Amino acid sequence: MIMNKFFDLRFVIGIFFLAVGILLLLYSFTNPTVMHAAVNRWCGIVFMIFALIMIALAFGKNQSDKL
Amino acid sequence: MHLHLVDYAIIGLYFLFVIGIGFLLKKRIKTGNDFLMSTRNIPLWITSLAFISANLGAQEVLGMAANGAKYGLYTAHFYWMGAVLAMLFLGVFMMPFYYGSKARSVPEFLKLRFDEKTRTFNALTFAVMTIFSSGISLYALAMLMQTILGWDFNVSIWLAAGIVLAYTFLGGLTSAVYNEVLQFFLIVLGIAPLVYIGFQQVGGIDGILANVDNAKLHLWKGMGSAATNPMGTDAFSLIFGLGFVLAFGYWCTDFLVVQRAMISHNLNDARRTPIIAALPKIFMPLIVIIPGILLLALNNHSAAFDLPLNVNGQKDYNMVLPIMLKNLYPSGILGVGITALIASFMSGMAGNVTAFNTVFTFDIYQTHIKKHASEKHYLYVGKATTVVGILLSIITAYVARGFNSIMDLLQLVFSFVNAPLFATFFLGMFWKKTSSNGAFWGLLSGTGAAALTYSLTTAEGKGGSIANLHTFYSGTSQAFNIASISFVVCFIVTTLISLVTKPKPENELVGLVYSLTPRQRDKNRVWYKNPVWLAVIMLLITLFFNILFY
Repeated sequence: MIMNKFFDLRFVIGIFFLAVGILLLLYSFTNPTVMHAAVNRWCGIVFMIFALIMIALAFGKNQSDKL
Repeated sequence: MHLHLVDYAIIGLYFLFVIGIGFLLKKRIKTGNDFLMSTRNIPLWITSLAFISANLGAQEVLGMAANGAKYGLYTAHFYWMGAVLAMLFLGVFMMPFYYGSKARSVPEFLKLRFDEKTRTFNALTFAVMTIFSSGISLYALAMLMQTILGWDFNVSIWLAAGIVLAYTFLGGLTSAVYNEVLQFFLIVLGIAPLVYIGFQQVGGIDGILANVDNAKLHLWKGMGSAATNPMGTDAFSLIFGLGFVLAFGYWCTDFLVVQRAMISHNLNDARRTPIIAALPKIFMPLIVIIPGILLLALNNHSAAFDLPLNVNGQKDYNMVLPIMLKNLYPSGILGVGITALIASFMSGMAGNVTAFNTVFTFDIYQTHIKKHASEKHYLYVGKATTVVGILLSIITAYVARGFNSIMDLLQLVFSFVNAPLFATFFLGMFWKKTSSNGAFWGLLSGTGAAALTYSLTTAEGKGGSIANLHTFYSGTSQAFNIASISFVVCFIVTTLISLVTKPKPENELVGLVYSLTPRQRDKNRVWYKNPVWLAVIMLLITLFFNILFY
């Protein structure tokens, strides 16, 4: 049952945006001199929040939309 | 524009995920129906987002940003007038016929309502249209990558085509639809920060009001005459040509979008799919049109936002979004923005290819070549058609490279085909006496009338190959009027021929014609499950925005 959740489309989308969010966040800290570095930081945080919501929705639903 | 390692990492991650989704879905695909129709098993939230995303291709994302700079806020008519009303009509009135008839495609519905020749005519024109459209998407993607990133044209074409082929071949329609949902979020989240940063730089709403020509900041002002608004069209052409004929012709009859609703769990979900999709559609101008308006404001203070000139020496409005990305995004989020553009191109291409393989397999191959083969056989045919569709798209992309006007031609082909088709559907669904011969000859006459009108009029130097009887203020106005004329001709010819020919017996039209079909009762459903209530809410929101931005 838990394995099914890992193939839910929302989980997959969540993982994608979580990875992109982490990349942006790390990049903003490792390259603080880049123009508009704060943009990467804030976008990274927003993407991660969105990702966590998608993952929570995937796990919170009774019947998953399994891939 | 120079990309860094982090940008390439994001692009690479996206490619990995889209192919991964196709790979995970591979085990689900066992029959032709699984591959081409998803066995009508997709949840509502996915079909709704896929419905809007199938239309969120290159033309939408780049083209509407371009129109935002060219026509200003008037471009929002393409959404509020040119999409939302038709989507609501599809959900409330037309979907019960499509879904209830158990037709697997729009051409198959035409066969059930009329006859085989009308179905074949529609299937062939639709197949050609989808390949052209898919090829143009591929060409536009390669040109964009070459222009803004310096990537090789051939590498871009083969890489993008290869990735689309991989995930559509592995997972069929389900894979295309699931990827469309990922692409939707990517496009919205990838471009939304651009709007936010643009607003910050220009000084908010006050900055826009101070720096953009006021004539471009309205929806209806100056619509009394084509000469008094930036769009170059009058209210009648806009309402009838765009709001009725073109919008209803596309959203209610184009199998590319209708297919997304037809794969829902049940009829109620199928009806709610376009209605729920209308909500993001209403707000989509924020993402795709506002960047064009912001560029106008930013350009007042900085030459960095100057638009380059195209081969005709005119401003190349298609470069609006790339210029905004280049000037406002740092590396990192720039990778997300570029990936969003790539996603929009791939989404448009995959949507066309999956619609093409369904129509070819069911409406051409199964009907005219091999009628009673096994499900496994049609699965192979569907997969082979996907490969052929991608190869034809690649050839079209190379052909497009040699012709400057092929994109304009494609737009015209759409208005030639979709506008008369809506007249055929409208009469077929709401007038039981519409005959098969009336529908077929009406369709042919409507398409012919569109071609003739284009050959006898000009706009922005295009058209008038036979003579120039009238010059339109803009290409947009010409397209609206061509669509209106082809619709009216198809409507009149279909009606006249139907009056003198024999219609199908009434017992064969149950479930296909409004007056002969029992109504679905939605009264007892809670409001968010009732398509009519949902449609009323969407309508009120649309009306509110029309009044707000009058």
